[in-house]
Amino acid sequence: MSGSRTFVAVLAVVAAAAQAPAPALAQTDALEIIDRVDRMLRGDSSHGTFTMEVVTENWDRSMTMEVWSLGTDYSLVRVQAPRREAGTATLKAEDDIWNYLPKVDRSIKIPASMMGGSWMGSHFTNDDLVKESRLIEDYDVEIAFEGDADGVAVWDFLLTPKPEVPVVWGSIEYRVRQGDYMPLWTKFYDEDGELARTMEHSAFTEMGGRLLPAVMDMYPADKPGERTTMRYEEIDFDIDVDPSFFSLRNLQGGRGRRR
Amino acid sequence: MKESPWPRIGWRNLGRNRKRTVLTALGLGVGYFACVFVVGWSEGIMAELVENATSLVTGQIEIHDAEYRPDRSLYDTIGGREGADVEALLRAIDADEAVVAAAPRVYAGGLVSSGEATSAGMFLGVDPAREVALTRFLDPLVAGALPVAGRYELVIGEEMGRQLAVGVGDELVLVGSGADGSMANDLYTVAGIYRTGLVEFDASTVVMPIRDLQEFVVLAPDRIHEIAVATAEPDLATDAARRLSDVLDVPARPIVVASWAELNPVLAEYVALAQSFYWIIIVIVFAVAAFGIANTMLMATFERRREFAVMLALGSTPRAVVGIVLSEALAIGAVSLAGSAAFTFPLMVWLSNAPPSLEWLYGNVTLQGALLTPTLRVGYNVPAWTWASVGLLVTALLSALYPAARAARIPPADTLSGL
Repeated sequence: MSGSRTFVAVLAVVAAAAQAPAPALAQTDALEIIDRVDRMLRGDSSHGTFTMEVVTENWDRSMTMEVWSLGTDYSLVRVQAPRREAGTATLKAEDDIWNYLPKVDRSIKIPASMMGGSWMGSHFTNDDLVKESRLIEDYDVEIAFEGDADGVAVWDFLLTPKPEVPVVWGSIEYRVRQGDYMPLWTKFYDEDGELARTMEHSAFTEMGGRLLPAVMDMYPADKPGERTTMRYEEIDFDIDVDPSFFSLRNLQGGRGRRR
Repeated sequence: MKESPWPRIGWRNLGRNRKRTVLTALGLGVGYFACVFVVGWSEGIMAELVENATSLVTGQIEIHDAEYRPDRSLYDTIGGREGADVEALLRAIDADEAVVAAAPRVYAGGLVSSGEATSAGMFLGVDPAREVALTRFLDPLVAGALPVAGRYELVIGEEMGRQLAVGVGDELVLVGSGADGSMANDLYTVAGIYRTGLVEFDASTVVMPIRDLQEFVVLAPDRIHEIAVATAEPDLATDAARRLSDVLDVPARPIVVASWAELNPVLAEYVALAQSFYWIIIVIVFAVAAFGIANTMLMATFERRREFAVMLALGSTPRAVVGIVLSEALAIGAVSLAGSAAFTFPLMVWLSNAPPSLEWLYGNVTLQGALLTPTLRVGYNVPAWTWASVGLLVTALLSALYPAARAARIPPADTLSGL
């Protein structure tokens, strides 16, 4: 659904089966479209690898990660490269996030106060991992625009927080291509209505039997020139995995190294 | 010129109704004591606030890269990427007459974890030997010893120890981000526990040797975020900061030398506000006293109207009557001032040297990031006390003006003919 949701979709490496283009119905319900995009991108479960390139004012780096996901509640990401950080892993199980640090052989649960902190040095936050499945519950969704933008038929959705719900963003804008239900971009606005960051999707390719945006870029608005790019290398959908796979033991173990 | 007899008569009149004289003098004296005591106590609180805000953790002066505050980025070290000659800077700072200590610091943020418990932490890298000369929070420690560089040791606050359920000898995992973008994480041993009483600080700040923290966050040894400086008195900080600003030379990037008053303007304004209130306190206390005294003096002149009528009938001028009443008031003021000063100042000296505990009244209070302990500590404020003395005498005179005017206008014939 919204950008962050797509992020998990990506993390969960999700791809949508190429679907027959649906007719753009003016009255199509916003929630229905978003739900459909979501299902296309996510699948029930997935396993894949992606690279994450982080560019900041002070340093650039690239990491390769392996990822498993199950529904919206479970995902496990393990760093494969660079060698120095190989084995570092993140487990998301429902609302909790754990990081495994091979250097000290410890798993650390991210405290609530640090959920807004950076995930593995990227421009994504720990919250992005957790909150994605909740956007539709926490925000009201409406179609703000329906028609041609740059020669492409699109829907623009506007997500505004439901009253009384504590949320990170003041509002979220989300653009989806009508022809193939591919997400194009997501803009996150803070409480003052200022653009905080933009997520862009590109390189729409077929992977794992589905059409999906293979590349996702996150641009923080307050740090011009900085970005995080995630690119799927490979992905399989609907793999054989159950919730017990997403355990602390698997977070630390697998092929992880020990000191 | 012949000496006026009125002061002498006024003085003698004090003995005519001793009870009333004592009561009137007490009214003024208690007012005077109240002013001096409240001003002194407030001074004591302000002095402790400033002292604790500056000497507990921060120092009276901080030196940063110009870009460092308020974002406190890991990269905005003194001198930027090139770093700075820290030893030369410290030598130059130590040479200033007002400076008693200076110490380099590195800051970073991250997670502190033990077993299941994890909390957000601020990592403070210090030179332990220099730090204990600068600030009080590491000396004495509640338990254990200062960390030794290169041994993966650190010191945590008592509150953090409680929250993470760790003590001296236990292991902690620190997680942060390196200046090169790497994920910094390592295992450390708790060497000691400190307590500032500032709960938030004690719950979040992890102190370790500066070189260890630099290695953790991948900063070179010549890259530091701050030099904290202690001056002999907080009052000296502003001038010392100006001098250091002229002397210190970091060619690569501009630095900022800021005194505590600049770093904590709210506290500085709070102190200034409290001082401006002293005037209001003095005015209010003596205004209340003035009405009491006016009442007594009015009664006294009314009782003695036959005496004043005789004086007027015998040829005294109304001005002479006014002179007598005012002289009396001034004499009462002088007696009152002498008496209350004789009581008040020894008490102030005693309170200043041995402040009694007020724990039965209130606990530790944190105000503007400064700790306030529950003691009745007083500070000296000679100008305010002098003004309170002047206030006392002026009050005595002002409150006698109306009774004096009434006495001067007593009609002698009517008064003496049987009224």
